[in-house]
Parts: sequence; C-alpha cells; structure tokens
Amino acid sequence: MGVLKINGKEKTFLDNKMPVTLMDLLTILGVDSATVVAELDGQIVERANFTTTPLRDGQSIELVRFVPGG
Amino acid sequence: MDKLVIADKQFTSRLLIGTGKFSSSKVMASAIEASGAEIVTVALRRVDITNQNDDMLAAIDRTKYLLLPNTSGARTADEAIRLSRLARAATGINWVKLEVTPDPYYLLPDPVETLKAAEVLVKEGFVVLPYINADPILSKRLQDVGVATVMPLGSPIGSNRGLKTREALEIIIEQANVPVVVDAGLGLPSHAAEAMEIGADAVLVNTAIATAAEPAKMAYAFKLAVEAGRTAYLAGAAAETKKASASSPLTGFLRNE
Repeated sequence: MGVLKINGKEKTFLDNKMPVTLMDLLTILGVDSATVVAELDGQIVERANFTTTPLRDGQSIELVRFVPGG
Repeated sequence: MDKLVIADKQFTSRLLIGTGKFSSSKVMASAIEASGAEIVTVALRRVDITNQNDDMLAAIDRTKYLLLPNTSGARTADEAIRLSRLARAATGINWVKLEVTPDPYYLLPDPVETLKAAEVLVKEGFVVLPYINADPILSKRLQDVGVATVMPLGSPIGSNRGLKTREALEIIIEQANVPVVVDAGLGLPSHAAEAMEIGADAVLVNTAIATAAEPAKMAYAFKLAVEAGRTAYLAGAAAETKKASASSPLTGFLRNE
C-alpha cells in the first residue's frame, strides 16, 4: 500500500494501483491536467514535467486551479 | 481615449473586471464582453477532487484577455508569495494582484504583510499590483520597492459604498508615479466615474456588475462611466464657486431699469 496526501487529505492506494507519476495521479483522480497547477512536497512542478515526475509513498501534493474571483 | 500603460503593456480599456459571483459562466462571459475590459481577475484554489465542477473560466478567451491572478485568501506575506508562484506556473506570465487580507469581516488589506510580499515578488521578477487601503505613505513605500500599480480601495470589498476614501485617494493620485487603480467598493457607475474624474488611471469592478439584475447591461454602464470620467479628467474640470455665476448675458433684459 502507498499513501499520498492530496490537498491536505490522505489517500491510500493498493500497491498495484499506486500512481507512478504525477500525470498518473491526475488521470486516476479525473483531473484535467491542462487547468491544474501542482506542488509536490512544497515545490512547484511545471505542467510540462507532470509525466516525468515520479511519486513516492508519503508525499504531499497540492493541486490548485483558477476559479472565479475579484 | 488615451492608453493605460501598466508595466510593459498597453490597454485601451481602463475598466478591470473581477470574475467572482457571476451566476453562470455564460453570464460572466457576456458581462466581460460588454464591459470592454482587457484585464480580468481570477483566484487560485485547491481542486475539489471529490466534486469536479465545470471549469467556469473556460469561457474566457485567454488570447483576448489578460488573466490577472489574485492572491485572495492569503493572510500573510508567505501565503501570498506561495500563491503568486503557483499562479505564475499556471498562467505562464508573471503578473499578480497582491492581496493579503487577514480580517474576514472587512477584508481590509494588511499593509505590513503586503509590503513584505511585494518586495519579495518584485525581486523575483513579478509585475505586482497590490490591493491596499487608501494610504498615501504605504502607496509610496510600495512604489519604492517597485510595484507596477497601486490599487487602493474606495470602500470595503463587495460593499458597493463608493469612494469613502476620496480625500486619501486624491493624495495617492497626486503623488503616484505608477498607475492608480481604484479597487473595491465601487457599487455604481457614478462611483467609477467619480474615481476617474479625480484622476484615477483605472478602476476594478466585480460585485456591482456580477450581482446586478442584468450583469451585461451593468458592465456596459460601467464602461460608459469610466470613459466619461476619464474624458472629463482630461478635459479639466471647471472651477467650483459658492455663488452663482450666470451663464446667460446680464444685459438686454426686457424691462426698463
């Protein structure tokens, strides 16, 4: 099993379901990668690097995007 | 109208629009269109991974409008800096509307944290547009660290109360060497016109348009008011006097005296 903290909440993945890259995680979550910005353990990951950024058990991920606002 | 220049960009419109509080993306898009605005603000929030709503902002043509991310929700300089960096990663451009508002009741900006964040962000190459209270000295201090505009409030965000800070705004405008964008509290086109008449370079409006019965119509009314106010400012206002000064000739009356 692996655990990732996503937007402050822990999510558990079975070993064979653990996302390998950040892009895998977005696909599993159904999040459109084109509109999202990611932080991995406090470091911003550029969108171009989503497919090449590996994930490890215990990491913390923030996924944010633009919403309406003044 | 004369162009508005912020940092290295030129704009024809002097009305900036916030995208919050619209009832739908369609209503928002039609209001933005009617306003003639070229700069629209957006916020940055966590993706709700349990409930993926439609992307409200997909309706905004990013080739036509400059998306200006704000740091709303930040209560400290550090939070605002973090949001700014995320926003830059999202837009690919380095413009940010800096907001640090620790007080949830009046949403008044924290001057100390705002100045701190502005200093760091300018050094990192950001074009910083800080939301501030109408404080002329803070405005100067921010200009000293290199902000691209100052955005003093007319009255608290979303209050629709107009230019309660007029006297301080006049001092800020008189002393500014960057564009002054009056942000927050403008509830009516007449408020926007008043800000432009006293020499503001631009205004930012959100609530007054988004929550009007007909947002697109109200957006158009604000567009006209901003243009009228700017044109009046450029025309140079006539002097005020206490006593009447007749506009018609004071000779040739139809009576014998």
